[in-house]
Amino acid sequence: MGWTVGIDSGSTMCKAVLFEGNNMVDQYLTKTGWNPALSAEEALNTLLDRGRQGFRRHIIKRGDVRVVATGYGREAISFADATYTEITCHALGAAFLAPEIGGVIDIGGQDSKVIRLEKGKPADFLMNDKCAAGTGRFLTMACDVLGINLEEIDDFAHPTESVHITSMCTVFAETEIISSLAARADRGMILAGVLQSIAQRAHQMTAKMGFDGTNPLLMTGGLARSNMLVSAIAKVTGFVVKTDQNAQFAGAIGACVKEIENG
Amino acid sequence: MSNNILPVDFESFADARKQGFLDVKNLKDQGKKVVGMYCTYTPEEIFIAAGAVPVGICAFSDETIAEAEKVLPRNLCPLIKSSYGFALTDKCPYMYFADLVVGETTCDGKKKMYELLGEIKNTHVMQIPQSQFDDASQELWYKEVLRLKERVENDFGVEITDDAIKAAIKIKNETRNLLKEFAELSKLDPPPIMGAEQLKLNYGQLFKFDLEAKNAELRQMIDKVKADYDSGVRYVPEGAKRILVTGCPLAGVTDKVVKAIEESGGVVVVYENCIGYKPIAMNIDEDAEPYRAIADRYLQIGCSVMTPNTNRYDLLTELCRDFKVDGVVEMVLTACHTYAIETANIRILMQSQNIPFISVETDYSTSDAAQLKTRMAAFIEMM
Repeated sequence: MGWTVGIDSGSTMCKAVLFEGNNMVDQYLTKTGWNPALSAEEALNTLLDRGRQGFRRHIIKRGDVRVVATGYGREAISFADATYTEITCHALGAAFLAPEIGGVIDIGGQDSKVIRLEKGKPADFLMNDKCAAGTGRFLTMACDVLGINLEEIDDFAHPTESVHITSMCTVFAETEIISSLAARADRGMILAGVLQSIAQRAHQMTAKMGFDGTNPLLMTGGLARSNMLVSAIAKVTGFVVKTDQNAQFAGAIGACVKEIENG
Repeated sequence: MSNNILPVDFESFADARKQGFLDVKNLKDQGKKVVGMYCTYTPEEIFIAAGAVPVGICAFSDETIAEAEKVLPRNLCPLIKSSYGFALTDKCPYMYFADLVVGETTCDGKKKMYELLGEIKNTHVMQIPQSQFDDASQELWYKEVLRLKERVENDFGVEITDDAIKAAIKIKNETRNLLKEFAELSKLDPPPIMGAEQLKLNYGQLFKFDLEAKNAELRQMIDKVKADYDSGVRYVPEGAKRILVTGCPLAGVTDKVVKAIEESGGVVVVYENCIGYKPIAMNIDEDAEPYRAIADRYLQIGCSVMTPNTNRYDLLTELCRDFKVDGVVEMVLTACHTYAIETANIRILMQSQNIPFISVETDYSTSDAAQLKTRMAAFIEMM
């Protein structure tokens, strides 16, 4: 069985997975940092060094692995044997994690995308990467202003009530949040409003993709770790939206799947 | 793939816009009149018949946008901003030398910009109807063609004879036939040339002012490309996905879309855009009354300013079939409302024919090259 390493070099995080044959056996996550090639190399070396997990430690030689890169930093990873776009990789990775899905909502650090799947293959997509509206960057900004740790949003956001954020634009939304704070609005309610706003943005994109709702959608990307956001998106879009513990690795997984498919 | 250099000299066309600067100056020195025009709706036969030199002045670079934005709103199509900016700054020799600039009331942005342009250049605006099929619209356009003829005769102090207009129609028909023959070479599988080379010729030929010589050069190009292909020379890899490009005018800086396609395993086989197949698809009836024939032919161009724009749907359908297209890429310039809205109909049209379709929005900056590449690569990976 051959080894494959998939590296998804995103704007914020570098995600990498190791496949032995058709099975995912290990994963690694690190900050992309200023140099996508360096963080990718770190991810690759760590995975090779850890080798096959279990009682028989087995270091993998670089020559025995195919390295496949995706994500915005893919072109910078010169040691990759192949590169594919994040659209293809997210679609295939999501279908690997949840074969029953009809589409993917991926909210990443600086872009968001919606992909429609047909028989587990990408059939159509929409991508927003010209502005930070509805992306991780938008949420990071809000958390900074609100003084909340990004990891704690589900504990912090008000479960039922929210302050409506009217601006999609990150810069204007920041002004709005500051005004709301000055008006002594509840921080949890403001954060709930921010999550609503991201969900609205996702809704605009899914609406254009023409999903019929027969199959659930899978949410990938770092923001998929927020259950509140996932359920907000499900509520606004009217679709069943799932997530998966490995959703953040969907791109890296898809890179391996694509490479294994190509033989 | 995009690095393929043809032994055929496409560079003669690639540089034509620049080379033409001197040609136009020389023509001006000989006493020739120059007419600047923006749109494929402009019946240039009238200028040719008047002994004047028509030249396209639609602008395709962001060089003068900052200057234009001192007057025009920021949220406006870059083509309009750029074109107006070149008029303001005298940076475009063609605009500078133009004795008359002709525009049409096509989209809202252009027609309002022409009002401002009229204050700095001698400008004539044709009232173009928004429908192509009813008698009143056709009659209006016919009268506008006659009004243009009178304007040209008055401004340049010439009389356009029937023989002159018929001769102009004939030579332009020949050019259109040659351009069509050239474009249709890419019906071959694999096509003989990359889409980037095709674009160089489509755009460059607009700046060749000796029409007889231009037709002769086009003939040579066609024969050379054919001869190369027949002798087994291949510039396009086997299996490259055959892409049709449609949407807003595409040239200059927006060739970034073509690059993104052709660096991702695709090849542009045909451009439906107005620098491409759209203006050459139809010829002018040489046996009919010349001005009526000119009006009838130009009005049928399928631009999104028309409503409904069924001629575009028909042409797209025909081109997708004849060029065996694998996918359609639409380029919409930021703030081009008519094309951006029509995208919804084009998407449905393509779905009904099971042809993959993607629409991308861009402007005259180069900052989105990587994003375009991701979209085009993903689109082609899906096929």
